[in-house]
Amino acid sequence: MTVKIVTDSTSDITGDMAQELGITVVPLTVSFGHESFLDRVEISTDDFYRRLEKEAIFPTTTQPAPGIFAEIYNKLAEETDEILVIVISSKLSGTYQSATNAINMVQKKCRIEVIDSTSVAMGFGLLVITAAKAAREGASLDEVVDIVNKGIPRSHLIIYFETLKYLAKGGRIGKAQGLLGAMLSFKPILTIKNGVMSPLTRMRSKAAGLDYIRSFVGGFPNIEKLAVEYSTTATDADKLADSLSENIPKEKIYRSTVSPVLGAYAGPGALAITILEAEK
Amino acid sequence: MRKVNSIDGRNFREMFTAATNWLEKSVSDIDALNVFPVPDGDTGTNMLLTMHSTIEEADKKINGSVSAVCQAMSHGALIGARGNSGVILSQIWCGLAKGLSGKETFNGSDLAEALTQASIMAYKGLSNPVEGTILTVVKDASAAAREQAAKSDNDVISVMEATVNAANESVANTPRLLPVLKEAGVVDAGGQGLYTLLEGALRYLNGEAELMQFRKPQMVASSIPLTPLVFTAPERVAIDEIPFGYCTEMMLKGQGLEPDKLRKKLNGKGESLIVVGDDTTVRVHIHTLDPGNVMHYLTALGTIHSVSVRNMDEQHQDFLELQKQRAPATGIAIIAVVPGDRLSEVFSSLGVTSVVPGGQTMNPSTKDLLQAAEQSASDKVIILPNNKNIVLTAGQVQSLTEKTIRVVQSKTIPQGVAALLAFDYEADFETNASIMTEALSTVKSIEVTRAVRSTKLDGLSIKKKQAIGFLDGALMSVGDNMVATVKEVLEKSGLDKADVVTIYYGEDATEADAEEISNGISEKYPNLQVEVVNGNQPHYDYIISVE
Repeated sequence: MTVKIVTDSTSDITGDMAQELGITVVPLTVSFGHESFLDRVEISTDDFYRRLEKEAIFPTTTQPAPGIFAEIYNKLAEETDEILVIVISSKLSGTYQSATNAINMVQKKCRIEVIDSTSVAMGFGLLVITAAKAAREGASLDEVVDIVNKGIPRSHLIIYFETLKYLAKGGRIGKAQGLLGAMLSFKPILTIKNGVMSPLTRMRSKAAGLDYIRSFVGGFPNIEKLAVEYSTTATDADKLADSLSENIPKEKIYRSTVSPVLGAYAGPGALAITILEAEK
Repeated sequence: MRKVNSIDGRNFREMFTAATNWLEKSVSDIDALNVFPVPDGDTGTNMLLTMHSTIEEADKKINGSVSAVCQAMSHGALIGARGNSGVILSQIWCGLAKGLSGKETFNGSDLAEALTQASIMAYKGLSNPVEGTILTVVKDASAAAREQAAKSDNDVISVMEATVNAANESVANTPRLLPVLKEAGVVDAGGQGLYTLLEGALRYLNGEAELMQFRKPQMVASSIPLTPLVFTAPERVAIDEIPFGYCTEMMLKGQGLEPDKLRKKLNGKGESLIVVGDDTTVRVHIHTLDPGNVMHYLTALGTIHSVSVRNMDEQHQDFLELQKQRAPATGIAIIAVVPGDRLSEVFSSLGVTSVVPGGQTMNPSTKDLLQAAEQSASDKVIILPNNKNIVLTAGQVQSLTEKTIRVVQSKTIPQGVAALLAFDYEADFETNASIMTEALSTVKSIEVTRAVRSTKLDGLSIKKKQAIGFLDGALMSVGDNMVATVKEVLEKSGLDKADVVTIYYGEDATEADAEEISNGISEKYPNLQVEVVNGNQPHYDYIISVE
């Protein structure tokens, strides 16, 4: 039986990708005060960012309840006996807890493995896609788990931020804490390391930031997959993807948007690039 | 070096007023060192507040004899003592007062005697004295004082010099004596505080009062190599110490009080017990999980005053947060030479490990740079001289230290900022030195000042006091009007190809003028990002980076 792949909405895989590859996406929740929305389902990215910039209160986010995962496990267990769940870094969200706790609630006999991606956005989204493709081609659960685990250290996420204020307010700033309180403006470029946000460097302007990203990508000789995402600036992302496609075939480039739940921390103007290095 | 054979009450008071002001400058640095007996980051603040109270009482005895002044100081220290370190400091003052009792003035050997008494009193106040702390420092300092007094002819300054040198060595040695210090990667905070006080007093005696205004006390570097502070919080702090609880302090007033008996009785009620005082006034300090019980016991013996109960666990969390922020997350220290307090703040806010004051007119010495390098927690140090006159000095540091030094040859403040921002948190030391050096050429530096003499330069005639503007060291513009001169140089700096312009206006410039310059270029080049920063730097009215 085919391994079924489950992930959460912060993997940023688009509806099309999910449908095409048979991936089940479990949404987190983003709330503005008392109004709650299921990530990517009940609120569009445009609406979300419009509200983000206008509202006085910062949005909050919540992981899916274990019960939601259990429901999905039970449903999928009717079609398969092997499920692989790949979720956002456990240091950034309690989603991993929910996904693991839900295993006890499954009635049918089914093998369920949960992997803490230690990453976020396409930083693990690309791995979810890789896993789904392998599963479709008949790989066993153990084989897919192995593919994902080997992929995690080969996945490099860099994020260009317009501002760190959302990340700081949301308590997810991690090791980039030291970048706060600067008396000079700059655009921070962060990565994720050991499951938490970590500083990479600082650029004086967006133009310099985009140059940095291009040369960062250029530093990888063999790229298996590349993802380019944005929170609000589609044009910047398009221009970036175009310049990167000069050296990387278009089929290897995946385009997406940063989900509202992640957007609550990334803020407007963020660009996220993921490089999944080819196996050596 | 001049000799001083006698110090009176007034000079004594002034010595220690200067010492207190000196201590004030390093309060936060000392707070960051504190890991024993409990990491609550207060030592610097506590010692300073204790000294404030000490000096306050001394000020009431303006024309008194040295004995009267010191007695007043001891009283001030006792009533104003805060925290462990404050209380031990008050014991030191008590000993000093005892040693100087009955004296109108004091000389070198009197000082040595007073320090000896101070050391004895400091140890006496504790039920469990620990070596490798302020106790060891006062002990070592007093020993050196005695040795010197026996040699010299009552000269106070030479005894004080010996005292301060010994104190420095003792502080440097504290991690060798106290394992938790070695583990945490710091010297003892209380010891450092005492050293800074003594050093301040000595500087005053040497007539350096004015110099002290512009300088900052240096932290003593450990004599043994310490692991860089890549932060892992020390789990276990003091031997036999219960983890946290409440830091409980109060004054007990009554009749026929017996501090020694009281100490024995309170010994079982908590940790870090300090009981000091006399038959009418006793100060109690204890770390306990049951402060109510201690107060209940004491209220039966007299009246209690100035009660303070602090939750040490909360303080510990705050301290950890502060340490995390300060820790060089990468194991690489960056030292920058920056003129002026505000510009220094800008550099600090961008992650420089330490700033050495200095610039065009006040170049730091090799020793100043060396000390900053030695005092940083990392073995790998990058120096940003930010001035062409300092590049060579910076280059001298490597031969004087075991640490690895790389000088990123920034010749201007804008180059320094560019290099600093280019720092890559994921790259290693050597790679970063390269990356930062490459960044120097990505920025153009404009420096505008007023000519200090009439001359001819780069084909232009300059009259004294005229505004002169340089672009990367080449004279571009001369004029009577400062703002016009700045605008002229900007026009020659290739703004049409630039992304970001940052205008640092100095102490001789105004925000209004800086804004005018900024608006002028924004209007002409709408895609340009222009930022105005109050650098308050001396000498250069405007320092501008064009990137």
